[in-house]
Amino acid sequence: MSPSDQQQEDLANWSSDRDLWRRSCLTDVTADEAAHFLDFAGFAEGRLEADERDRVAALLAGDPAATDDVAAARAIERGFHLTAGVLDRIIARACAILPGDTAARVVAFPVVPRRRRILHGLAQWGSLAAAMAMASWLGFAMGSGASRALSGPVSSSETSLLPELFDPGSGFLRDLGEVLRT
Amino acid sequence: MAQGGELAALARGDKGAWEAFVRRYAGLVVAAVRGVAREAADVEDLTQEVFLRLCKDDFRLLRSYDPARAGISTWITIVARSTARDAMRRHRPVLMPIDAVPEGRLAVDPIEPAQKLKLPEALLSPRQREILSMLYDREMEVAEIAEALSIDPQTVRSAHHKAMVKLRAHFNTKEE
Repeated sequence: MSPSDQQQEDLANWSSDRDLWRRSCLTDVTADEAAHFLDFAGFAEGRLEADERDRVAALLAGDPAATDDVAAARAIERGFHLTAGVLDRIIARACAILPGDTAARVVAFPVVPRRRRILHGLAQWGSLAAAMAMASWLGFAMGSGASRALSGPVSSSETSLLPELFDPGSGFLRDLGEVLRT
Repeated sequence: MAQGGELAALARGDKGAWEAFVRRYAGLVVAAVRGVAREAADVEDLTQEVFLRLCKDDFRLLRSYDPARAGISTWITIVARSTARDAMRRHRPVLMPIDAVPEGRLAVDPIEPAQKLKLPEALLSPRQREILSMLYDREMEVAEIAEALSIDPQTVRSAHHKAMVKLRAHFNTKEE
């Protein structure tokens, strides 16, 4: 490659790199919390390379809470003390977060005992039947009362018609066909 | 320290792996949360919040852990403290009757917007940003930058190269 070609290539790269730099200066990015956790943990352990360490230090400079987290992570690495009783309860609760298998994800309704179910059914149907009987009686009583009030005095011919339909000896209905034939 | 296999089992939702993980790290989470909690009584609930967050969205956060970049204990401590702080901010207790609270304090906290950064701040070290700015904004030569920063010109080239690799990788990933 001749010196002029090299210069041309450098110039082309320089130009595209400059465009990339300018584009990046106009680009907003949302802070990625998961990436920050790893950055801060790596920083706390002194695992980062110089450039990365400087970048994370700059992020930490603007975030006092995260700075405390890094200090706490370093301190905890040196050891901590806990009370066993509380820990058992915490472990039991945390273990329960994850269901064991697919069946465990299904919430089972409580089983109602058979005897309780029968009593419950009887009470339901009994109350329905009682309500229907009450409504029928009430309707009948109101209807007959209204009918009696509207019909006025009963004539003697109407009252005498009924006994003529019955045979006073047997108490059964007369054979009306026989009456018609005679 | 958790091995890759254990983390893979966790990410698959293996109940046994989860219980082993909880038993191994519950103490650490409690210790981390205790440093943030205002009341000792809150520690238990805050610890539960941490474990819930670790398995939320099909273990999304736990999957983001990279053993090559940090030890799991350090990482869990930082996650636990941050989660506990967020949870306390969400469940701030009301300790006085509402009539006794001045009206101004009843205002709802504005939803905190996701923290926005310019890309170079998020991706590059201050030194890398400075060098790129000198090169492309102020159009300085490498030798001038080296002299201004009292460093070797080769260090300037190296910092420039590393920074451009990061920027290219970022834009390539986004454009794919």
